[in-house]
Amino acid sequence: MNAAIISTNYPYIVAIILFCLGCLCILTQHNLIKKVIGINIMQTGIFLFFIAVGNIKGGIAPIYDPSLPGDILYINPLPSGLMLTGIVVSFSVTAFALVTIVKLYHYYGTIYAPDIMRMR
Amino acid sequence: MHLWDSMPFLLIIFSVLCAFISPVFARWKREYSPYLAIFSVTVSFLNSCVLAYRVFCGGIIYYHVADWSPPWGIEIVIDELSAAMLLLLSGCCLLITFYSIRALPKEIPEHATGWYYTVLLLTLTSMMGMVITNDIFNFYVMVEVTQIGACGLVAVRGGKHSTEATLRYLMLASLGSGFILFGIGFLYQVTGNLNISYIAAELAAVRQQYPFLIWATMSFITVGLGVKAALFPLHIWLPDAYSSAPSPSSAILSGLVGKVYIVSMIRIYMLVFGFQVFHDTYMRYLIMLMAAAAILFGSFFAFVQLDLKRRLAYSSVAQVGYIFLGFSLGTTWGMKAAFLHIITHAFMKICLFLSAGAVYYQTERTKVIQFSGLGYQMPVTMAAFTVSAFSMVGIPLFGGFITKYGLAMGSLEAGNPYFIILIVISGLLNASYFFPIIWQSYFTSEHNTKLVMDRVPLSMLVPIVIMALGVIYMGLFPGGPLSFLERTVNRFLL
Repeated sequence: MNAAIISTNYPYIVAIILFCLGCLCILTQHNLIKKVIGINIMQTGIFLFFIAVGNIKGGIAPIYDPSLPGDILYINPLPSGLMLTGIVVSFSVTAFALVTIVKLYHYYGTIYAPDIMRMR
Repeated sequence: MHLWDSMPFLLIIFSVLCAFISPVFARWKREYSPYLAIFSVTVSFLNSCVLAYRVFCGGIIYYHVADWSPPWGIEIVIDELSAAMLLLLSGCCLLITFYSIRALPKEIPEHATGWYYTVLLLTLTSMMGMVITNDIFNFYVMVEVTQIGACGLVAVRGGKHSTEATLRYLMLASLGSGFILFGIGFLYQVTGNLNISYIAAELAAVRQQYPFLIWATMSFITVGLGVKAALFPLHIWLPDAYSSAPSPSSAILSGLVGKVYIVSMIRIYMLVFGFQVFHDTYMRYLIMLMAAAAILFGSFFAFVQLDLKRRLAYSSVAQVGYIFLGFSLGTTWGMKAAFLHIITHAFMKICLFLSAGAVYYQTERTKVIQFSGLGYQMPVTMAAFTVSAFSMVGIPLFGGFITKYGLAMGSLEAGNPYFIILIVISGLLNASYFFPIIWQSYFTSEHNTKLVMDRVPLSMLVPIVIMALGVIYMGLFPGGPLSFLERTVNRFLL
């Protein structure tokens, strides 16, 4: 793979890096809040990936304007629209996870996973 | 007639409405909230019956949501497999809802009743949506709703253990949905479509150009759905979640939620990628390996558990392994055995979990060493338990035997006779952890051997008995379901 391909497709690489960071965060962090942050980082990586798929270099926002010249490029609005749904899903999962963590804090007095495992 | 055509859509939208009415209704009249849920699930069941009848007589149903035709809008496709799954999901859910009326007040706090039926209806709806949708992003949304609903089913009990299990389930399942969404992103990037039929057509054309990308997509989807379906090394959330949930929830989670992910996985592999790609990418052998490990280690782990529901949960890991094994064999008999086991295992596991709940209801016993004499105190429940356990072991005349036979035929067809040894070993292991319970309950009674009727309400006994009858039906007359599923199998293995 040569440098030109990598430099033109850098959003994908950033997306993959974010995704991997998020996974690592979920699996290795002991603090439960940090795990939730990991879920969010991972999902942000995916959102970035979708937005990058829909983007066209030099394209403008997909709002039809008759005063613009006819051969102008619009970006693909579908992935962005999908990601609105994705953001809502991510929001509800985060909210659910945070509520559960609050309940765990009430029961155990800590949000540090190894302590909770010890207290069972 | 417009209403007749839009039945697949009404199926989904009606129970979503009922789901959100339920908590409001429960504030007003709490004691009637189960009946609202029963009404909604009954409507879904009747609707599914009509749809299945239409599929059986008139072929596959296509429905365009809001009249947007396929490449743009969401398409609903109901084929034989979807129709069978719809019947299974709504029928089992109906029985479980009946069971919940009396079983729930003993297992969850009173103020949570309305919310329990909300998450139950949401889970049922999204599972049905997942089975019938033909749009891959819609599929992802349904996966997420099912996930949150399933977590809610575990969390509804409250208390330390179930909260902890919920969090673990939620974390791992979100990891899984992240993987699924990334896989969908790859598919969209390659093909530019979200409709499964269009993706399949595009992918068949460009398959040779992007071998690495297709391989990556398949691995992402395998890991994502594997976490949710609890394929062996990815099952770590399962025992806690199943054992700490109330019994009707464990029955739904184990019998229905896990199965829907497997069906979706099979549909994505066979309809999007096609059998040839599934074979060429060696994904088949990976799944075969994981399934073999699941069958062995799931049974071993189940053997050492002392809590009944934990034992049943680990046994689910092994049984999921059977389904994956059948489907990764890739032969006609293997696929048929996989689909048949989805149905049989739903009956067996729901029956076992509901019996465990009935035992808890009458005697508050949860450990497998506390079963002595129960065969005389709860004859009907223990008879159903015994039927399901025999079926798990794979004794002829019970449903489990037919799948074991099908798997053995499939492994011979695939040229891998070693799997027969694995199936026999697994049957023996199943016997080793189910027979002690049965032996204890019938033959080790120290004082009270007088036969008395169960002190369990009829609304809990009848679902258990119906499930046990289902297991026997699958064992005695497997021809009907088999011929219904054979059309799907032939379509997949083209």
